Amino acid sequence: MANPFSRVSNALGTLPRWVYVGLALAFAIVFPMLEYFGLMETLWLRLGTRTLVYVLLAVGLNLVLGETGLLHLGYVAFFAVGAYSTAILSSPRFDLQWNFWAILLVATGMAMLFGFVVGVPSLRLRGDYLAIVTLAFGEIMRMTLNNWEVLTNGPGGIPGIYPPNIFGWVVDQPVEFYYLLLVFVVIIVALVSNLKNSRIGRAWNALREDEIAAHHSGVRPTQAKMLAVIMSSGIAGLAGAIFAYYQQFINPTYFLFMQSVIVVCMVVLGGMGSIPGAILGAVALDATPEIIRQTFTTWLPRAVGSDFLPGVQAALQTEFDRYRMLIFGLVIVLMVIFRPEGLLPNKLWRREVREEDPRELEHTRQHLFDFEEGKQDLEV
Amino acid sequence: MTLEHIFGLTVSGLTVGMIYALIALGYTMVYGVLQLINFAHGEVFTIGGYLATSTLIWIGVDATTPLSLKIAYFGLALLLSIVFTALLGFLIERVAYRPLRQRSRIIALLSAIGVSIFLQNGIVIVFGPRPIIMPTAVVPTGFIEVFGARIRVLQIAIILVSLVLMAALTWIVKGTRMGKAMRATSQDREAAEMMGIETNLTISFTFVIGSALAAIGGFLVAMYYGSLQFNTGFLYGLKAFTAAVLGGIGNIPGAVVGSLVLGLAENWGVGLTLGILAWLFVAGLVLGLYFQFVRAPQSRIDHIAEEFRTPAYERAVRDVYRFAPVVAVKTLLAERTDALLYVSAQHAVRLTAANVILAGLAVLFFINGDAQFASKWQHVISFAVLMAILMFRPSGILGENIQEKV
Repeated sequence: MANPFSRVSNALGTLPRWVYVGLALAFAIVFPMLEYFGLMETLWLRLGTRTLVYVLLAVGLNLVLGETGLLHLGYVAFFAVGAYSTAILSSPRFDLQWNFWAILLVATGMAMLFGFVVGVPSLRLRGDYLAIVTLAFGEIMRMTLNNWEVLTNGPGGIPGIYPPNIFGWVVDQPVEFYYLLLVFVVIIVALVSNLKNSRIGRAWNALREDEIAAHHSGVRPTQAKMLAVIMSSGIAGLAGAIFAYYQQFINPTYFLFMQSVIVVCMVVLGGMGSIPGAILGAVALDATPEIIRQTFTTWLPRAVGSDFLPGVQAALQTEFDRYRMLIFGLVIVLMVIFRPEGLLPNKLWRREVREEDPRELEHTRQHLFDFEEGKQDLEV
Repeated sequence: MTLEHIFGLTVSGLTVGMIYALIALGYTMVYGVLQLINFAHGEVFTIGGYLATSTLIWIGVDATTPLSLKIAYFGLALLLSIVFTALLGFLIERVAYRPLRQRSRIIALLSAIGVSIFLQNGIVIVFGPRPIIMPTAVVPTGFIEVFGARIRVLQIAIILVSLVLMAALTWIVKGTRMGKAMRATSQDREAAEMMGIETNLTISFTFVIGSALAAIGGFLVAMYYGSLQFNTGFLYGLKAFTAAVLGGIGNIPGAVVGSLVLGLAENWGVGLTLGILAWLFVAGLVLGLYFQFVRAPQSRIDHIAEEFRTPAYERAVRDVYRFAPVVAVKTLLAERTDALLYVSAQHAVRLTAANVILAGLAVLFFINGDAQFASKWQHVISFAVLMAILMFRPSGILGENIQEKV
């Protein structure tokens, strides 16, 4: 492999896996302490918390998009279901204050139910129709949240969500939310990676590679896909519940189509079907823009003097978001064309890419043969 | 609810439907030749509308401009936007889709979504986030009265222009060499290539034609609603795709039929009271019941091979449909099931679900007979139509016309 990317990843791949997992976990645990010791502003802690929400979403979407190969474009709708379940059951709006665990259960369950409802009509269809149905569902959800004012208060959103009370521990500081999310991320990642190596995980991968072959080897396509969709919806619902608690206020603008696209982008960037990839994708896409913005608007001016590239600073402050999405679009196209296996491809995929396909060899041989015969313009 | 009200809603439904059709044609043609949902098509439509409108703003057309000059400017703006969007369509295919042609559909679709996001934010960066306003002087304001309903001249113009364009497209597809190449490519690309058809050129041509139609659609929308926003194309694209699926993807007349049905459904849906809509559901229910109890069992029975045709077997098939929930579920859950019965049972369950939903909606709508959908639910209606059509007839009204690759 001449590709420098793969050379690096191969070299890194020689270290045992627990080293990386341990390092990542250690970093994640130490990260908020930087704020405690005054090495970092609270802004970064908030960013870290948001990133962890995205990590949950990316890991959940990876089940569908990466493992099973279904393009799901309405993922944020399930996130919204979780968030709104929480907001309705634990806020002054209907004067309810349910227990944290009960709400978690309801939010996850509701999201799973919606996943089932969307899955029933769409999973029998061709793969690309699923993308459109999920997209349409996402839009229906957003419009319903906007229009059903009796329940959701429409565009005004639901404010004043009570902080969760976990066996007497009232979670209301950013640091506490960070660790709460981290615990859930660890649990979900452990769960999903075990699932990935189980019978059902292999069934998903088989479906992704070749649905007909998988079907004839005894995998029930609709059931297996349904399971993937339901589980990933549940993860989104869970993420939504914690997100609502953390934000204390939600309205429909948190659940735009673009959010779904950002999560898709994370999974594609990290490597479809790779859990470390999904995590890396989430961290990279959520943190990098903020780091770039801070570098140019705060750190460099502080170090070099405030008149450092004022044009760039102004542009970053006002139009940064648009360029961010522009770049996200570009990232998807470029990744898909030039490195479809993502930044951190999973082992199976890497092996597949590296493996010499006998048909490929045959093709080359045939091509050389034609070349000698003077028929080089014939594509075999 | 008066006749002229219904007539007015019908005309505006047809107008919107025609605009959907102009976009849907691009989707359906591209899907025909590439089996790809050209997600960026909605953005091409927006860019077409933006370019034409901003050209008119830039020229500075106002009420004092003489009519002949107005028409000339009009043509210029339209020509400019068509040329540019055609080029854009060509480039999109070349850059983002062609390298992925051998890969799976999902990968190509992802690329299409990336292009769509890129273009949408490109529009914001170039033209700004605020909507672009069509100069009012350009838009014909007259109206005529038919059956007491006011029909805007613009609506008639939009319908006529769309009809002319569709006739032209039909001529291109049916009557020219390139059209023949397009049809051949959509039937079987490899075979077409072997017959000496330049499939790459043909695919590029398909994108060019589709983009040009979308640009005209964008211009018409800007005139009809008076403004365009950077994300207008997202919703229109989604609805046009819905229309293409509704009519049968890959099927050119289907795209037009689907678009008209969708346009009418949207306008009737929010314009009529629930009591009138309930009658539509009743009609649907009658059709559904006819299918469940007469048509479907008969067509299944016709499929039984001669040597297996016994009265008992026929009755079993009929029972699956007649007592759908109980017998069908029992059949589906049985340890060993006859294949025909199994398929019939699945079908029966789906038909029953549809009939129950229709009956429920009819009752619900009759109860609230005087109420009306607020227009904010309009988009929800069309997406619900999409989900319903995919659930019960994914091949669309006129049947799909694509090459199934295994």
